[in-house]
Amino acid sequence: MTAGLMALVSRFGVTAPAWLWLLPLALMPLVASSQKRIPVPSLAMVPADGLSRLVDAVLTLAGMAAIGFLILALAGPHLVGESLMRTGEGAQISLLIDRSGSMNETFAGRQPSGPEESKAAASRRILEGFVGRRAHDLVAVSAFSTSPMAVLPMTDRHDAVRAAIRAIDRPGLEATNVARGLGLALAQFGPGAPQASRVLLLVSDGAAIIDRRVQPTLREEFAKIRPTLYWLFLRTAGSPGLGDRPAGEDTPQAAPERHLDLFFKSLGVPYRAFEAESAQAVEEAIREIDRQERKPISYTERRPQRDLTGFAYGLAALAMALLLAAKLAETDLAVRASASRPAASRETRRAA
Amino acid sequence: MTGDILYRLRGPAAGPGPGAHRSRDTGGLGVFRDQVPFWRHPDARRIDLRATLRDPFEGTVVRRFEQRRALEVWALVDLSASMRFRGAGAAWDLVTELCIALARSATRIGDAFGLVGCGAGPDLMLPASRRRGTADVVAERLAATRPQGMSADGLLAAASSLAGRRKLVAVVSDFRLPDALTGALFDRLQGHDVVPVAIEDGALDEGLPAFGQIELEDLEGGGRRRVLMRPSLRTRWLAREAERRDSLRRLALRHGRPPYRLADRFDGDDFSRHLLGTAA
Repeated sequence: MTAGLMALVSRFGVTAPAWLWLLPLALMPLVASSQKRIPVPSLAMVPADGLSRLVDAVLTLAGMAAIGFLILALAGPHLVGESLMRTGEGAQISLLIDRSGSMNETFAGRQPSGPEESKAAASRRILEGFVGRRAHDLVAVSAFSTSPMAVLPMTDRHDAVRAAIRAIDRPGLEATNVARGLGLALAQFGPGAPQASRVLLLVSDGAAIIDRRVQPTLREEFAKIRPTLYWLFLRTAGSPGLGDRPAGEDTPQAAPERHLDLFFKSLGVPYRAFEAESAQAVEEAIREIDRQERKPISYTERRPQRDLTGFAYGLAALAMALLLAAKLAETDLAVRASASRPAASRETRRAA
Repeated sequence: MTGDILYRLRGPAAGPGPGAHRSRDTGGLGVFRDQVPFWRHPDARRIDLRATLRDPFEGTVVRRFEQRRALEVWALVDLSASMRFRGAGAAWDLVTELCIALARSATRIGDAFGLVGCGAGPDLMLPASRRRGTADVVAERLAATRPQGMSADGLLAAASSLAGRRKLVAVVSDFRLPDALTGALFDRLQGHDVVPVAIEDGALDEGLPAFGQIELEDLEGGGRRRVLMRPSLRTRWLAREAERRDSLRRLALRHGRPPYRLADRFDGDDFSRHLLGTAA
């Protein structure tokens, strides 16, 4: 309780502290009063009265509060924003999305027409839902085609993430360079929160050869970060699957998907590939990932700065309402109009 | 003419010269008092022939007549700041009217009128005078005076200065004084005929509001107090005032006359009735 109060006080701040120099004015009700003071011969004639003393104390305090809170309100009080470390259920998810030209095609390998949707649009639709579902996920978005693009760093702002995902069905570019994309997606995890579950979700519709020279670096990175790797393979109808051996020579050039799959399996991190040939299949794959990646994660909750000006004005208004009520309840002794008095004394003097 | 005050001293007067009041002195003129042997009052003009003839011891009897004397009327006025109070009436105006009326009435019948005003010390002093213009002087001096004493302790010293022959002393105050001071004041005025005149105000009495809140300020610098008026408090207030008035009355009666309550407006006839009625 006290600690909570202390925390609250330590977060308190004002925008224009110069106004606070006026705060001694709040002591004015101790010496002055808005009411008419009625002189009486002696206060000893007034019986002691507890209720009157209470009312006096309350009104004095109300006067001080009215002035004090008005000045405080002018100074612009607020609670400073802060970030809190919380623990929730979720994962650090690094999305790596293929932006190659083929993503613009439908699962049937055509340009989308009518009600059909492109692979990019389908993945966009489904990933959007995936991101919103869990509140405490940290998500980073990267895209790759010829070169990788860091779209969004690791964040819990799901609006931003959804906006980034919405952008992935823009027409893509040329080729597919998986290796550099993976490098970037791994770099997105960054340091910190080692206990959190890390997920690297690769969405692509094809593969490319990973240069042998890059492979050791990638392995090293994977070994260091140890993410769970999911490959959402948006397979175009009729194209070779992950398990299909090519008819001819089994080289990376001939069957890049198969060899990428093999490379992933050899990384030593939890790995799962989903071969999705339709939008429904993609959705199922996403649901599967959603089900599996639930571990405690520490995340930062940001509390925005809270403006207390209205609150201060409200309190001042309350105090002033009290004072106004007291003012309206003010009464007077039955004082006769003093006009008749000098006339009487003139008469007496004349008589004298 | 209204406003003239008739008064009579409790007991015989002992003024400086002949006047309008009964006294113990005997003289040649006036109301018959008694018969004494010639040797006690050798005034051949006043020999009572009938009584002389009737006297079995054949002594000569002389009539004596009561000599009427003048007296001194004094007003001892409290000049503490509380006399500035204005309620249904203005206390200071009442005091002024009372003193002017007393001065006028006294000088009209040949008595002297003097005035002492005291706050914390003696502030205003008008020696007793029989001049006809005394009332004007009193009016002038009182109009120029503003009661602002922080106490009425000067009354004691002033009371001591009123020594000598028996006088009629009107003590004009609101009697919101410490009981000890009032008692001591009456004690020092023991030899005189003391008429306490208590200046009060209807606004602090029946005129008190039953509801509402008032901020009161002590005229004598006793601070301020906020009071939430309500019927129960008003009842207590009135009871307290009645009790104070009663204790003053008992104290005054022990020294002679009961106090005269002067509230809101001055009525000379009423004051006369009080003076005559309590003179016995």
